[in-house]
Amino acid sequence: MIKDVSIGRYYQADSVLHRLDPRVKVFLFIVYMVTVFMADTAIAMAASFGVILYLTFLSRIPVMEVLKSVRPIVFIMIFIFVLNLFTNRSGETLWSWGVLVITDDGLKRAILLAFRLFLLIIVTGLLLSLTTTPLKLADALESLGSPLKVIHVPVNEMAMTISIALRFIPTLVEETDKIMKAQSSRGAEYDTGNIFQRAKGYVTVLVPLFVSAFKRAEELATAMDARCYKGGVGKTKLHPLRMKGSDWLWMVLLTATAFLPVLVDLLWKIK
Amino acid sequence: MADEIRALGNFEQAVEGEDLVFSYSTNTGSDVLAVDHVSFSIKRGEYVAVLGRNGSGKSTLAKLINLLEYADGGKLRVFELDASDDDNFWTIRSHCGMVFQNPDNQIVGTTVEEDVAFGPENLSVPLPELAQRVQKALGYVGLLEMADRQPSALSGGQKQKLAIAGVLAMQPEILILDESTSMLDPKARDEFLQLVARMRADKRISVIHITHDMHEAFLADRVIVLEHGQMRLCDTPSEVFSQVEVIRSLGLELPKWAELLWEVARICEVEVDKSAFTSEEKAIETITSILKNKKADLKKEMPAPRTPLSEKVVLRVNGLSHSYGKKEKKAISDINFDVREGEILAVIGHSGSGKTTLISHLNGILRPLEGQVEVLDASTGEFLSTAKNAEIKKIRKHVGLLFQYPEHQLFEETVEKDIMFGPKKMGYSEERCKELLMESLPLVGLSEDVLSRSPFELSGGQKRRVAFAGILAMDPDVLVLDEPAAGLDPVGQNEIFGYIQQLKEKGKSIILVSHDMDKAAMIADRILVLKKGEQVFFGTPRELFSEKTDFVRMRLDRPLLMNTMLSLKKEFPYADEFEFDYKRAALSLVFGNEEVSSS
Repeated sequence: MIKDVSIGRYYQADSVLHRLDPRVKVFLFIVYMVTVFMADTAIAMAASFGVILYLTFLSRIPVMEVLKSVRPIVFIMIFIFVLNLFTNRSGETLWSWGVLVITDDGLKRAILLAFRLFLLIIVTGLLLSLTTTPLKLADALESLGSPLKVIHVPVNEMAMTISIALRFIPTLVEETDKIMKAQSSRGAEYDTGNIFQRAKGYVTVLVPLFVSAFKRAEELATAMDARCYKGGVGKTKLHPLRMKGSDWLWMVLLTATAFLPVLVDLLWKIK
Repeated sequence: MADEIRALGNFEQAVEGEDLVFSYSTNTGSDVLAVDHVSFSIKRGEYVAVLGRNGSGKSTLAKLINLLEYADGGKLRVFELDASDDDNFWTIRSHCGMVFQNPDNQIVGTTVEEDVAFGPENLSVPLPELAQRVQKALGYVGLLEMADRQPSALSGGQKQKLAIAGVLAMQPEILILDESTSMLDPKARDEFLQLVARMRADKRISVIHITHDMHEAFLADRVIVLEHGQMRLCDTPSEVFSQVEVIRSLGLELPKWAELLWEVARICEVEVDKSAFTSEEKAIETITSILKNKKADLKKEMPAPRTPLSEKVVLRVNGLSHSYGKKEKKAISDINFDVREGEILAVIGHSGSGKTTLISHLNGILRPLEGQVEVLDASTGEFLSTAKNAEIKKIRKHVGLLFQYPEHQLFEETVEKDIMFGPKKMGYSEERCKELLMESLPLVGLSEDVLSRSPFELSGGQKRRVAFAGILAMDPDVLVLDEPAAGLDPVGQNEIFGYIQQLKEKGKSIILVSHDMDKAAMIADRILVLKKGEQVFFGTPRELFSEKTDFVRMRLDRPLLMNTMLSLKKEFPYADEFEFDYKRAALSLVFGNEEVSSS
C-alpha cells in the first residue's frame, strides 16, 4: 500500500545551492524567469543552456535526477511544440500537406517555446524544489512576505499553517493506510469495478479520515495553547534566516550569471 | 490580557482549588457539570495521581489548572497567584507543562528540535538561550541524536519523550500528564515513568498524573478519585486502595495482590482490616496469616473446569515470512502456528515486533512472501489459502479482523448502516444482513435504540462496540482482535474481555493481540511471542513462565499476580503460581493442599 511519500522532490546533497539562504533562491528564481523569457535567439538559448548546466554542476545533483523534474510536463512541451509548429504561417514554407503547413519561422518558434519551458522547469527544480525543503521555502516566503503584515495579512499564521500541513502529511498517509486495511477487512474494494464503484469505495476511507483529521486538529490546537502559542507576535525562532557574506556573494554572482545569455546575445548582434 | 510573563516568587503551594465548578453545554442544550464543587491542593514537588472513569472530569480538572478552561465558580490559585486575574495568565500557563494522550496530535514541529523549540519560541526566549534549552531538553530525555529527524520517524515512546522535552524546554513547575502512558507499550511506559521520576527528583516539579493504571497510581504521593465531577477520595495511595469497597463501586481496579487478598478473605470468610491493603508486603503477610488460621470446615469451592483444547484446526500458518520491500529486512520471518476451534490465542510482542504485519496476513490483506496462511472453510471442510485471489473474499467471511482503535473505521450515517456494511459486502441478502445485525448487537452489549443514531455522536466506548459489532455481523469463525481494549477505562476493558470470553464459549476462535501480559496469561489458551519479527515462543501460558523457558531473554515480564504467588509459595509450596486469574489463584491457595492430600 502507500509508503514513502516525499513532499516535493527535495534531493538531499551538500552543495552551494542547498546551503544558500532560501530567500536568495526565491529572488534568483524570479531573476532567472525573467532572463529566460528575454532569451529569444538561438545564441541566447545556447548560452542559457550553458548557464543551466553550470547551476546543475553547482547543485551536485546527478543530471538524470534533474531531468526527471521535466517528466510531468513532457506532454505540455510536445503540445506547445506542435501547436506553434502548425499555427505560424510566416516565413518560408518547409513542408505542407493539405491544411498543414510548416514554415521555418514556425519551426524556430516551436523549438524556442518548448525549449524555454524546459529551461524554466529545470531552473525551478534547481533553485527551489530539488535544493530547498518545503519548510525552508515556507520560511523564505514568511520572511519575504513580512511587509504584507502592514496591511494585516497574517503572514506568520500562514507560514505556521503550511508547516503544520507538512508535519501532518506522513501522519495522515499512515492513517489512510490503516483505514484502508480496516475497511478491506470488512469487504470494501478499492481497485475493482467502474469509476463510480471505486469512488464509492473511497467514501469509506475519506469519511473516517476527515473525522479523525478534525479530531486531530482540535487536539493539536489544545496542545499548542498549552504551549503558550499566541500567534506570530513576539515569537522567536530556533533557526532564523540570516544572510551571511557568502549568501550575498552568491546572490550577486548568480544574478550576473543570469544575465550572461542576454549579454552574449547583445554582443553577437553588435558584431 | 497582559502579555507579560513574570518570574515566580517562592511558593510552597503549587495549586490551591476551592469549591471549583465547571460546566459545559452539550448539543442537546443541557448543561453538564464536569467539575462539581471540587476542593484540593497540591504542594510544590508533590506527585498526585487522578483516577476516575472516562468522563468523570479528570481532564477538565487538569485543564483548569493551566487555564485551558476557566472555572465557572470557586477560587483557584496556582503558584500562589490568583488564576482569575488576567495579569497572571501567561505567568501561570507558561509554568505548566502538559503531555497529552495521543503522541501524534501534540507534535507541532516538522523536525524533533523544532518541536522542542516551539514552547520557548512562543515565550520569546532569544537565541542563543533558545538553542541551549533545546539541546539540554533533548539531552535530558535522550533524543539528542534524533534532533534533525522528522517526528514520523519516532516510535510512540520516543514521541512521548519528545513531548516531555518540549515541556522541559519551557522550564515548568507543574507537569500535567493526561493519560500520557495509555498508548504506550509496557517497556516505553516504564521508561516514560522513570523519566518523570528523574525530573521530579532533579527539578522539584509537581506532577499531576491522570491515569487508569492502578500500579501507576501507587507511585504517587497522593491519589484523587473523581466520579461524575465530584471528588470521592483524596489520600495517600495505600489509604485510597484500602477502601476496597469504594474503589470497586467507582469502577476502578485494585492492584493484583489486593484482588488476591480480597478473594482469599472472601473464601475463608474472614474480615480483613483495611490496613492490610496498604502494600503488597502487608497483603502477603495477611494472606499468610489467614491461610494458617483458616477454619477446617470451609465451604469448598471448585474452579470452573477448563475445557481442553479442541483438536480441530481452523487456521494454520506455515513458514510465513514477509518484507515490505525487496531490499528491506523481513518484517516477520518463519512464523508457524495453528489456531483451534474455540481457542483464545494471544499474540504478544513489543511495538515493532511484527504483530500487525502478522495479523494482516490472516485475512489476506497482506500476502505471504514465503509460506502459507490457510483458513478452514467449515461448509466444505477444506482449507482456503490466502495465496489464491479467488479465495480471498471467502476468507474474509471466515476471518474477521479488528484493528487497533477500530472506532476510526466508522463512516456511515447511522449505526445500523455501519454494522451492515460488512455483511452486505459479503453478499448476504437484505434479510440475512438484518438478522446478522440483530444477532451481533447483544454480543457486545448494545441495545436496539442505538441503531438509528449517528456513530459519531456516541461515546468512545460505544463507538468501539459498534465497530466490534460490524465485524461480528459478518459472522466469522475466527476473530482477530488487535488490542481491543486499548484506551478504555478499567470497566470498559473488562466489558470487552467479557464479550471475548462469551464469544469463545460460542465456539469462536480468537486471536488476541496484546501487550498486557497479565490479561493475556489470564484468558489465553496459548500464547505466541514475537520478538523483532521472529517467533520465539508458541505454547501455553504455563509453559511460557515455567523454569525451562527463557522469558527474560524474550524481554517479557512475569505477570504481576505470579510474583505475588511466588512469594506466597515459600510458605505454601502447594500453591499453583501458574494460575493467572486471581480467583483461581485464591482457590489454589485455600484448597490446593487438600487436593494434594486427597489424591
